[in-house]
Amino acid sequence: MVTERKELIRLRNVSKFYEMGNSVVKALNEVNLKVYEGEFVAIMGPSGSGKSTAMNLVGSLDVPTHGSVFLDEIDISTLGESELAQIRGKKIGFIFQSFNLIANLTTIENVMLPMMFQGTGIDKRRKKAEELLKLVDLGNRGEHYPGELSGGQRQRVAIARSLANDPEVILADEPTGNLDTKTGAIVMEFLEKMNREGKTIIIVTHDPDLAEKYADVVYWLKDGILEKVTKREGKRFVDVTKKVKKAVKGNGVK
Amino acid sequence: MIGSESIRYALRNIAHRKGRSFLTVLSIFLGIATIFIFVSFGLGLYGYMNDLLEGGSGDKIMVQPKGSMGVPGLDSTFALTDNDVEVVSRAGGIYEATGSVFKIAEVESRDELKYVFLLSYDPSIPILMDLYDVDVKEGRWLRKGDSGKVLLGYNYLIDDKIFSKGLKINDKITVQDKELRIVGFMESVGNPQDDSQVYVINDYVDEIYPNDSNSYGWIVARADKDNIDWAVENVERGLRNSRDMEEGKEDFSVESFTDMIESFSTAMDIIIGFVVLIALISVVVSAVNTANTMITSVIERTKEIGVIKSIGGTNSEVFGIFLFEAGFLGFVAGVIGVLLGWGAAALGGYILDKGFYLVLFGREFGFGGGWGFLAPVFPGYLFGGLIVFAVLTGAISGAIPAWNASRTNIVDALRYE
Repeated sequence: MVTERKELIRLRNVSKFYEMGNSVVKALNEVNLKVYEGEFVAIMGPSGSGKSTAMNLVGSLDVPTHGSVFLDEIDISTLGESELAQIRGKKIGFIFQSFNLIANLTTIENVMLPMMFQGTGIDKRRKKAEELLKLVDLGNRGEHYPGELSGGQRQRVAIARSLANDPEVILADEPTGNLDTKTGAIVMEFLEKMNREGKTIIIVTHDPDLAEKYADVVYWLKDGILEKVTKREGKRFVDVTKKVKKAVKGNGVK
Repeated sequence: MIGSESIRYALRNIAHRKGRSFLTVLSIFLGIATIFIFVSFGLGLYGYMNDLLEGGSGDKIMVQPKGSMGVPGLDSTFALTDNDVEVVSRAGGIYEATGSVFKIAEVESRDELKYVFLLSYDPSIPILMDLYDVDVKEGRWLRKGDSGKVLLGYNYLIDDKIFSKGLKINDKITVQDKELRIVGFMESVGNPQDDSQVYVINDYVDEIYPNDSNSYGWIVARADKDNIDWAVENVERGLRNSRDMEEGKEDFSVESFTDMIESFSTAMDIIIGFVVLIALISVVVSAVNTANTMITSVIERTKEIGVIKSIGGTNSEVFGIFLFEAGFLGFVAGVIGVLLGWGAAALGGYILDKGFYLVLFGREFGFGGGWGFLAPVFPGYLFGGLIVFAVLTGAISGAIPAWNASRTNIVDALRYE
């Protein structure tokens, strides 16, 4: 059953070390991870667990110290900077805890921006951005600046922006972290809706309830080490750590 | 790739930092305006001098006391005689030569008294007048035998220039207690001294100044234009012999107008070059200022740079956005600078020509004008060239900050607060 699905992202024995003066901080140590098309995955861990580092590697924003990251079966270490930017822009849509909208661009321009980097024509960009804003119930806010919107609205603009290039994966870093429970729930429902429509969603969170409420697979990180992987089976989660390790290591590429 | 969003992004960022952008632009455009003003006047002067050479001056040689310039003949220790004129006119390469007396004259009309320069010439060899390259505006040139007659510069025609009321043909004017009849007015030469001069024939000078020796202040000769340097040497040698002087100890100098204008051009080159150099230094300073603005801008927007890269912007796109921003600042400065320089130069040229008069805090300020030959010119390439220069200044000073922006590490940038 596992092998039938298309693999999107794979982290194989990935470590990320930072040098801090004389000591080495092992932010991530020998982590294996595999994301299939259409999955809703959560990377879970308390602060300092290495989940942000994991997100950076999964989103190909950063390169590992050891190990390999595969995006669509391509080892990202073999890609040049502009190829990586292209892939990032096309295959991954980012949603950040602090929204990260560009303050000097209107809502619709913020949504249009990723398409510009992919060379989409201006008319097509505008049309798509209008559709996406409607999708997140902000069809009438296109000409507003981010500063004129509430936190929840801003995060919905960020969701619209993440969908601009119709990416295969949405990568959300603590998407509800800056929102109250109610608006956070609205944002999560949008993500869930997109997952139902076939998008792969990866969220990074410190909140186990949020992870288990929405995700199909949860990667539990602690102190830079992958503690366990749990998978939804019916109503409960079962430990599939060994399975994942085996799947990651035994999949062709050495 | 620079798309419309990134252009708008850059423009809004500039607008967002209005004060800083304004100061940056200000510092560039002042330099650009200064360069524009001096180059436009310089080009005007070069053009004027070129016209002089192509007009009546190109084949002329002038003999005058050594070390003097512009006001020959007022030095009483130096005298050129008819004999000297004879020597000059016989020199190889010279077609004809004539002397001219140069004096200060007291002129009076309707009880108004003025001191001006009087210049005499021989109407049968009027090559001195060729140098002005103008025609008579009214009346006629002086003729042989025109005793008791006078030709006046252009300014005598105009009210409130020399006299409160302009003069007319056949009016009388008193020159050194002699009453002379006006036969003509010259066209404007374009500088107040020449336009205020009075002209009489050589033969009449002794009657106006009966107590003076009245030797020539200068000799003007017409030479073979193609062998003018040779003619100058011949004149020098001839005069040296006839005045019995050693080489290098002459009390006279012989120069072709071409040489005089060229040495004047060299002096102009140095002056204009110096001013433009200072303006260029100010542009360099403003380039540093622009770089500073851009560096701050890059630091302020570190996080945004991270976002742009995370949504697919490549290094070169980030570089392009910031470079465009710096270049655009330069462009705005260039356009303002060129327009400002244009306005200032045109106004300056107008005032030099027509003069101005204003009352400020109850005091009168005025300037008579008359320097019409100091007219700036505005060729298209001066506008285009300086705008391009300003854009390049902006772009070059923005290049390093833009490069730093493009190299920003995404992870660090996204974490930046």
